[in-house]
Amino acid sequence: MQERTWAASEAPDSDAAVGGIEKYRLPLAVAAAVPVVLVLIYTVGDKDTGLVTQSVVTGLLLGGVYALVSIGLTLIFGVLGVINFAHGAMLSLSMFLVFWLTSTLGLPVYLATVVAVPLMLGFGFVVQGGLLNRLTVSGNHEGSLLVTLGLSLLITNVLLMIFGGRPLSVPGSLEGAWRVFGAIASYERLIAFGGALLVALALTLVLNKTSFGMCIRAVSANSQGAALVGVNVGRVYALTFGIGSACVAVAGGLLAPFLSLTPTVGEEFTILAFVIVVLGGLGSVVGAMVGGIVIGLVQTVGALYLPGTGSLILVFAVFVIVLLFRPQGIFGVTR
Amino acid sequence: MQKLIGVAAMTVASIALVACGGEGAEGEVEDIVIGAVHPLSGALAGAGTTMSHAAEMAVKDLNEAGGIECLDGAQLRLAAGDSKGAAATGQSEAQRLIDEGSVALVGTYQSDVTQNVSAVAERAGVPLVIDVAVDDAILEQGYKNTFRIQPNATSMGTDGGAALLKMAEENGQSIDKVSYIHVEGAFGQSVFDAFEAEAQSAGVDVEEITYSPANFSDATTVVRQAASGNPDVILATGYYPDGLLIAKAVQQLNPDIQAVYGIANGAFDNGPFPSDAGPAGEGVLSANYHYDANDERVQDIRKRFQERYNEPMETAAVLTYQAVEVIKAALDQACSDDPMEVRNAIADIEIEDPLLAFDGPIVFDETGQNENATVIAMQVLDEKIEQVYPAEFKAADLAYPAK
Repeated sequence: MQERTWAASEAPDSDAAVGGIEKYRLPLAVAAAVPVVLVLIYTVGDKDTGLVTQSVVTGLLLGGVYALVSIGLTLIFGVLGVINFAHGAMLSLSMFLVFWLTSTLGLPVYLATVVAVPLMLGFGFVVQGGLLNRLTVSGNHEGSLLVTLGLSLLITNVLLMIFGGRPLSVPGSLEGAWRVFGAIASYERLIAFGGALLVALALTLVLNKTSFGMCIRAVSANSQGAALVGVNVGRVYALTFGIGSACVAVAGGLLAPFLSLTPTVGEEFTILAFVIVVLGGLGSVVGAMVGGIVIGLVQTVGALYLPGTGSLILVFAVFVIVLLFRPQGIFGVTR
Repeated sequence: MQKLIGVAAMTVASIALVACGGEGAEGEVEDIVIGAVHPLSGALAGAGTTMSHAAEMAVKDLNEAGGIECLDGAQLRLAAGDSKGAAATGQSEAQRLIDEGSVALVGTYQSDVTQNVSAVAERAGVPLVIDVAVDDAILEQGYKNTFRIQPNATSMGTDGGAALLKMAEENGQSIDKVSYIHVEGAFGQSVFDAFEAEAQSAGVDVEEITYSPANFSDATTVVRQAASGNPDVILATGYYPDGLLIAKAVQQLNPDIQAVYGIANGAFDNGPFPSDAGPAGEGVLSANYHYDANDERVQDIRKRFQERYNEPMETAAVLTYQAVEVIKAALDQACSDDPMEVRNAIADIEIEDPLLAFDGPIVFDETGQNENATVIAMQVLDEKIEQVYPAEFKAADLAYPAK
């Protein structure tokens, strides 16, 4: 498990010229399949076009939300090999942190998000550095799984103790919506979508253009090798978990305005986030973004034909098909 | 040797414990235990904790009023159990509370948990008074020991539908077509089915739109779908977060409808809804069982609850309070703390002054259902939830069409 490969899109491609097209075949196929399916639904789908447009817009925006939640997870999963069961609880924690900052200190919600990011980064750093590092370095996966599960129970119940279980709303958010082709896109969700793009872009830049990013990629590819050339592996692990947590903080802050906050609100996203991470390819930020959007679209557009739980069945059908033909995920590379 | 000492110590400790238990029993009049099963942790912990608090406060109030008089002023004691929102846990907690000597149980907020607890109560011969659990099926099992104060799903769907049609008619509007958005599962489906039957018998077209309770974080598409058939009214049945999302989506899409109308909706008549929804909440109607806001005793209880627990007492908690009162009245009447005699007293009981806005006194039919349980209509007016229909519970004037 120390032998981790970085995703194709972000790997420094020495052989890009040779294997480039081959490598991008599936991502391109997915990118092409989405519009084709949408055109088919518009023309022969036998549904009100306004309704289809709305479901596409909703699906894209929901996909942004999913991507935002998944980016932190894919980083932690891809680099550390830690299946972070506390991801949902950490999302709840970020939302309540933002709630507390807005309701007690009176900060506007998006400013509170900015404040929450370094706090969660510190939290993640401490969790990985203090609780998980020994397990991760020794390659013990059951251990870190149990620790994060315990952590999620702890976070959820502490939140329950402090805030109670009644649904809370973050005050003073940005009401209103933008109309596109007769469809509605609320400002809050548009901002969340933009936030997802920004986080994905920033993270890609950090990973590919900075020396710290190179350390992360080196540790991810071969931690022993990285240690041999002088990388402090423990610290990189801790910082990676910290950055993953900071992404969660952004997600929490941008989601809080349109969700009802309960201590278990984040957990609703956990399973889908794992699906998206595996679908997009472990450790691939772009994969998480694309995977999130694909899942969001499948869920909402699919709901026109298979309402309710049926749309989730479609989501998992897509998941199974991708795993069958490309087990490493859309943007993953074969090991 | 060490092992032996350990065993010896354990034995001494357990004898001491038994001795303690014995002493209490021989003392003055024993406390009468009422068991309460609610979700105190997990996703539903918020409502569950409030309900458990209500049971606690009811016990305290009744004790302060002198306890059970004909049992030498015996005091009540609450034993609370945590179902964690799961049927199996609720079942084992109910068994534990019965083993601890509960003469009656109160609970449980969820239909599936209630169904299991009801089976435990039946076997153990201990009455269960349901505070909140809507599914018809619970009382269709033929059990003798289960009683329900609130209306069931069918009567809520039927009465809620009838109330909507009457309100529209009285305000000179006609309803030909409605869209009904509901959560999947027994709760949403059974309320919807009853409504559909009622609406169709009045010649109203009903379009059904469902959504999954899991991963529902955007209501725009379902509302758009509901609006695409040009309905006169959009109806909704579901939980708090869903209802909030639906109300906001309706406001953003702004379809040409007479009203948004919830039946057994977890959001629309819930305290924080008007402020959480903001302008999207204005005018939203809701048919639900509800505490009687005009009743002075209810006002007093709710005020003291707010002071004591620093949280508002929603209808679910008022129902828990009411359930404890029913058990207390039965203990008075039976003049016994034998669970079966308490059960028989509950079956014959008549509570004249219910805390809920019901058609009449609390009286249980042979299945255990309160005959006079019904829904009233409420509306968000100027950021406050007001009772608007029927006339006897009215606190403010209905605005219809509401949009």
